[in-house]
Amino acid sequence: MWLPILGLFLGAALGLLTDIQIPSAYTNYLSIAVLASLDTLIGGIRAHLQNVYDDKIFVSGFFFNIVLAASLAFLGVHLGVDLYLAAVFAFGVRLFQNIAVIRRMLLEKWAKKKTQTELS
Amino acid sequence: MKNKSLAYFAGILFIIGLMMSTQYNTVNGTDPREVRGVWEIRQELTQEKQLHSELLSEISLADETLDNYGAVASESPEQALKETIEKLRNEAGLTEQSGPGLEVMIKPSLEAVALGLEIEQIAPDMLSRFLNEINRTVDAQVSVDGQRIINSTAIRYINGTTTINTLPLTSPPFEILVAAESEEDIERLYNQLVVSPIIQDLYIDNLSVEVSKPQHQITIPAYEGELNLSVLQLAEEE
Repeated sequence: MWLPILGLFLGAALGLLTDIQIPSAYTNYLSIAVLASLDTLIGGIRAHLQNVYDDKIFVSGFFFNIVLAASLAFLGVHLGVDLYLAAVFAFGVRLFQNIAVIRRMLLEKWAKKKTQTELS
Repeated sequence: MKNKSLAYFAGILFIIGLMMSTQYNTVNGTDPREVRGVWEIRQELTQEKQLHSELLSEISLADETLDNYGAVASESPEQALKETIEKLRNEAGLTEQSGPGLEVMIKPSLEAVALGLEIEQIAPDMLSRFLNEINRTVDAQVSVDGQRIINSTAIRYINGTTTINTLPLTSPPFEILVAAESEEDIERLYNQLVVSPIIQDLYIDNLSVEVSKPQHQITIPAYEGELNLSVLQLAEEE
């Protein structure tokens, strides 16, 4: 359970300590990539709770979403339309939905546990 | 959760952490782009250095005054006060000053005379720029056409005439006297004035500038008007 959190800390520490920066023109792409990866992560947690989790889908979804979002933003920049907003919107909505589902499932689990302990 | 899945999660979270910190660095840590050229930076450095040395000399002056107070306080505080007042009057330009200096003649240009053009007065902004050029180079006492230039001197354009302290300036030729602390300063000022672009700028207005060689002794007249100090206020003590 601690391994993912360790991974997150390692990544953040590596980024902060090495002080990596990207050209400010690309911050849009990176922010949307972060959003896409968060969406995949939350989706993965949800799939795991629903017992439909699959490694391949998770990992491929992660990279595919990032690439798709970044290319959408790229296309938007070149067409003069803020297409990345579409990605932000889609990922944002999905993020909240997934979090809501996770919350409900956790609450259900918790309630079940409680009734079980009360019964026994 | 299986170990393999955990490893995947860890890997993905590692990438997310890296991306987030990169984003954080980029958004928060970008310095404004440096667009100044080397010469601009050098100029700024020179200005700062000048300020630095001015401040240092002011500090040493203040220290000296303080020492004076300390030294004579027991015997005669009036003397120290009088000396200070005299020093302040000197700095304000209320006394005659002499020292190494140079004379600058502003004359109608030869072409203007030959062509019979009407000789116009020097424009106030040109005169101000000329004085700035002097003050930029050395800390000097200046008089224009017999009128001492002090900190509060106003050079204005009133009813078609250039005025200094509301007194009209005569038409060219007239004389600008400059006196500085030391011979080196005046030498520096002379070299600066001779190559200064302001001379070309004045030439456009049909005026030529003749800078005399540095002289050992030039006397600058005292400021004759009233000092208007109505807007000055006593500083509040901290």
